[in-house]
Amino acid sequence: MSSKEELLKRLSDGVVDMEEDDVAEAAREYLDAGYPAFDGIMEGLVDGMNRASELYEAEEYFVTDVLLCSDAMYAGLDILRPYLPETSSEEKVTGVIGVVEGDTHDIGKNLVKIMLETAGFNMIDLGRDVPLAKFVETAKEENADFVCLSTLMTTTMGGMETVIKLLDEAGLRDKVKVMIGGGPISQKYADRIGADGYSQNAVEAVKLAKRLLNIA
Amino acid sequence: MAKIKDFQCTYDNSAGISGEVTKDLGLTFPEAYLKWDTMAALSKALKEYDKAAFCELPFCHTVEAEAMGGIVNYGNEVAGPRAKEYICTAPEEILKLPAIDFSVGRIHQVLLACKALREAKEHVVLQVSGPFTILNVLIDAKHVFKAMRKNPELMKEVFWKLGGEILRFMEEGKKYGADLISYADSSGGVNILGPKMAEQVVEDFTYEFLKKAAELADDKTMILLCPKTTLALIGTGRARFRDLKLSGPMPYGEGCIEMVGKVKLAGQMCIKNVGYQLENGVFKEVVLQV
Repeated sequence: MSSKEELLKRLSDGVVDMEEDDVAEAAREYLDAGYPAFDGIMEGLVDGMNRASELYEAEEYFVTDVLLCSDAMYAGLDILRPYLPETSSEEKVTGVIGVVEGDTHDIGKNLVKIMLETAGFNMIDLGRDVPLAKFVETAKEENADFVCLSTLMTTTMGGMETVIKLLDEAGLRDKVKVMIGGGPISQKYADRIGADGYSQNAVEAVKLAKRLLNIA
Repeated sequence: MAKIKDFQCTYDNSAGISGEVTKDLGLTFPEAYLKWDTMAALSKALKEYDKAAFCELPFCHTVEAEAMGGIVNYGNEVAGPRAKEYICTAPEEILKLPAIDFSVGRIHQVLLACKALREAKEHVVLQVSGPFTILNVLIDAKHVFKAMRKNPELMKEVFWKLGGEILRFMEEGKKYGADLISYADSSGGVNILGPKMAEQVVEDFTYEFLKKAAELADDKTMILLCPKTTLALIGTGRARFRDLKLSGPMPYGEGCIEMVGKVKLAGQMCIKNVGYQLENGVFKEVVLQV
């Protein structure tokens, strides 16, 4: 039987190598051997995803690679997660994420969601082409700490400003941080519409979220 | 490995569809996106507003996918037609989708709009999408990326199935009078795929596909490439630029019109960059390596 360290390495390597089936197999062996699911997730799967994001930052991995790494990570998570001890979801910082109405380009948004989840945030993904009011409704219902808005098109950028106004009208603006990103978005644009922050890529988005929410 | 440079898209050259452009046309949306006469009127209004040398059609990148069975949300005045839910969950399913019938549906209306504009002596750019853009409407990109890594032969088959449909669309566009046929697939750019996969796409598909597309160019029709495609071809050594002298400095669009009949493939700039000036009067033909 493999040791815990060997299995953690297989989980981590499987994520980096994008080998979904290997990760699933290693996750099952890991549980069968009686090791704690939490360590498997954090020291195996998340470790692998962190290594993938380092490779992305070093431009050795690209968007497609990271998406496939995340598929492998989620394959492992599906197996390990049911064995986690019950924890209060209040402990987690919650974010709402989506591509604004009118736009269906969601690769960047997916990447940001993956990186934020890997960093321990509880992310509620509204998908693409999301009606603007939906961001506000969900932020309210889920008691979210932040909202991430993405778009690749200039024609739909204006929707981000509308979401900020709607948050204001709903009396949530002081409570909910707003992060924006996407092809035509810039810090200048974020400043102009009153967003709390802009990030150029998924790795930076994690740093930004931590900074805005004062998380070490 | 090939060194493919990326071309950064800029979006602020055209006004896009806005109330200001459409106020005098009496159009309602999304109906205006669905019929040839309103498509033509909208296209002409945009041309005039942007002070462009040509009319562009269609206004979205969902026409081909819809004609293959994709589900489209037609949108409104602010946000145009875009993909709704995906109809495929595996690349194999793409292979089973029907061939496009160009005599029906919105794609037929686009062709009729081309004809009407050309008959009104307008220059028409028919914007044709590449496989990644079409796939974006039909299937979640993650299935595509996974198959490209795990089953490249299958994806090659998918690219060529779509490539066949795209070539037929180009041929139809030509029949209906489009004098400039632009090919773009920004969803499959090196910024998304990374250099290795971008090279794989050029070798498995784009280079051979464009050899066929270039055959459609003649004395009345030229093929325009998105600069992302041009740079992918040049970066992999599959094409080079050849400089040709224009009658003088002019906007890129006008340069393209002047070069119809003399050049098969162009692609030094994005055709949507309507203000781009060829200051030195030099036009760059994209020459595919033999």
